[in-house]
Amino acid sequence: MKITQHATESTLTLSLDGELDASSSVLLDTELSKPEILRNQKVLIDCRQLHYISSAGLGVFISHLQSFQDAGVKLVFFNMQEKVHNVFEILGLDSLMTIVPSEAEAEAI
Amino acid sequence: MSFLRKLHLFLFPVCLLTWLGLLACTLLYAHPYLLPRSGQQPNWPILVLQALFTAAVFIHERNTPDRLRGLDFVGLLRRLVLGPGLLATVCAGLHLLQQLIATTLPETRSVLFSVVYTVNVGLFVVLLARTNYAWRSLVLFRSSATLRRQWVWFEVLLGLTLLVHLFAPTPTWGFNTAILGALAAFGAYISSHQKWVAYLNRRQKIEAVLLQLAIILAMGAFTAYFLQTQQDPQLIAPPTQHTFLILNAFFAGFYAIMGLLVTLFNLPTAGVFEQKREEILSLQRLTQLIQRGQTTDEVYRMFFDSAIQTVGADAAWLDVASPEEGQPLYQHIRPEQAQAVRNLLADYNLTHIEYINNDLYNSAGFRGLELPFGSLIVMPLHSSKNQYGSVYMLKEHPQGFDRENLSILQTFASQTVLSIENLQLVQASMHTQRVQDELKIASAVQDSLIPKNLPIDNWFEISSHALAATEVGGDFYDFLHLPGRRLAVLIGDVSGKGVTAAFHVAQMKGIFHALMQENPLARNEREKFPVPSKFMAQANNALARCLEKSAFITASLYIIDYEHGGFVFARAGHCHTLYYHSIKEEVSYFRTAGLGLGIIRNDTYEKHIKNQFYDYNPSDVMVIYTDGIVEARNGAQEEYGEERLQQMLERTYYLDAEQIKEQILADLMEFSKGQPMHDDQTLLVIKFKASQPEAGL
Repeated sequence: MKITQHATESTLTLSLDGELDASSSVLLDTELSKPEILRNQKVLIDCRQLHYISSAGLGVFISHLQSFQDAGVKLVFFNMQEKVHNVFEILGLDSLMTIVPSEAEAEAI
Repeated sequence: MSFLRKLHLFLFPVCLLTWLGLLACTLLYAHPYLLPRSGQQPNWPILVLQALFTAAVFIHERNTPDRLRGLDFVGLLRRLVLGPGLLATVCAGLHLLQQLIATTLPETRSVLFSVVYTVNVGLFVVLLARTNYAWRSLVLFRSSATLRRQWVWFEVLLGLTLLVHLFAPTPTWGFNTAILGALAAFGAYISSHQKWVAYLNRRQKIEAVLLQLAIILAMGAFTAYFLQTQQDPQLIAPPTQHTFLILNAFFAGFYAIMGLLVTLFNLPTAGVFEQKREEILSLQRLTQLIQRGQTTDEVYRMFFDSAIQTVGADAAWLDVASPEEGQPLYQHIRPEQAQAVRNLLADYNLTHIEYINNDLYNSAGFRGLELPFGSLIVMPLHSSKNQYGSVYMLKEHPQGFDRENLSILQTFASQTVLSIENLQLVQASMHTQRVQDELKIASAVQDSLIPKNLPIDNWFEISSHALAATEVGGDFYDFLHLPGRRLAVLIGDVSGKGVTAAFHVAQMKGIFHALMQENPLARNEREKFPVPSKFMAQANNALARCLEKSAFITASLYIIDYEHGGFVFARAGHCHTLYYHSIKEEVSYFRTAGLGLGIIRNDTYEKHIKNQFYDYNPSDVMVIYTDGIVEARNGAQEEYGEERLQQMLERTYYLDAEQIKEQILADLMEFSKGQPMHDDQTLLVIKFKASQPEAGL
């Protein structure tokens, strides 16, 4: 799992590369737990290279969902692969989180 | 061997008989008138008897078991002095007695002299035999094979000298001297083997010196007697076997003197040897003790006591790095004094390193503390990874410690660290064992939570499969019969694995049984039991307070009403239900929306969960499972997937529920062959049937 960051004035983009399982989700949790992350208006998650997400990986997003909402930070996923999208959908997360097809749409939100 | 043993039995009587014969011959030789018929005696009977007697005594002594027991050299010497050594006093006593009797009874004088002389020759031979074979034990103590061979040669050559007088009754001077000189030199060489002295401590060395002196005295007494009697005109006997006896006496005396000197010269160094021995012994003791130590406290205490004893410290203390492993130990020093030294060493940046200072009075810092100590040694206890503490040893005098003390402390310290790490390993493994045992119990408890008896009715068939990836799993399913021919079926999966997940499984089952109770306040039949969506909302509410932040649970609840041929279900983020519609002859998934439990932890959850109603037909098949089934991977890391599962049901829908399950599992096994199981797998197959006529009545 590799996480690359790209920050602009008000937007932070995290690109996930690899499989988000129990061990790599700790990395992501560390990133999302940083207090300065809540200063962004938007946090975009680029899922182009995300091949697999386990329940532990989902748990990381779920556990930060509330604090993002409270701080008014928008969490947007884009470029999600069909397989990964299916996992989000089955769990019902597609109704809670913003998942858009492309980066352009993500930035437009 | 048996021959030698038999020979040994005869040797003593032979000794006695030959000596008596010798006595008789000597008397006859000196006093032919005692037996009137015989004429002048020839020399040879005496010489032969002498040789036989001497040989018998020596061989007898040679065949007795080694008198040296273990390392009891002093005991060997003591037995030698107190046994044969006392023969010298007998010899002297007899001589005096003979002198006394001779003055009072002059007519018996000559006979008496011969008797005493023969007795003393016998005693001297016994003394020599015992002494030389005691020396053999000492010479051959931990000796090489070469030395053992040399000793046998020495014995044989000495034995041959017995023959000298038989074949050449008056050996020529030069011949005699040559033999004497050569064998004496051999004896002197043998005498240089005094290895045993090194094994004596100081006290034993002093005792050994005294005992060896006593033996030399005993030999001296005999020698003096024989020298004196040789000049006596009454000695009318052929010369004794003196080549053999002189050589033996020389060897016995020389070895004793050599031993005496070696022991004497070793006395000043005895202290050092003893100290070394003591150090080795206390290290051995420490090793044994420490291995018996059950706690780190005990190990530290043993190390501390042994270290003080070995270096002879006047005061000492031991610091233990982590307080839970043991308290600091103090000996003859107050904690505040120790603290002052600790602070001072910390100021000098000297903590946790080996440090020796033999002149504390000249160190300004230490002088300032006004402690009555002149020497300090610090030895840290550490392994390559951990710091366990330090021991501090103090002596009142300056120059109290040396490099030896430091190295012995080093050895002690590493032994102690080894023991402590060993102890920790043992404790850790015991802990792991306990955890494993508890996991086994947890596994058994969880196993008991899985329904063993599946509901049986004429209206449906149920077949189930559950396999946990680890000891305790996060998958669950359960059944509950409700009044009015209804059956509640719950399936679910707790995120994460292990004990935490297992707890939530138990919790979910508790919630299921608690919520699926008949509500006595219900106004109508429909409200007596919560509908699935209501159940999920209530379960979400119950879980909200106890589920950790990143954990969630997916579940599906089906309430099957087989009286009316329909079911209602709600899916809380759980895998889609796979369904075979017998009327449409089609296999498809119920793709309904529904959020997992514990994701939203407030009242808005209810908006995210829906009920789905469906009227089933006989021969319809419902396949309920957890993600462990569809996410099982093959060698190419592909997932089994919903599609493959659907195809399996398309091929098997007409079979019994049990057979459908078996076919799916067989296909799954084939697919994921050789791959480790990552997640728990649960599979339920429910097949609805037309009611049988007799059951319907």
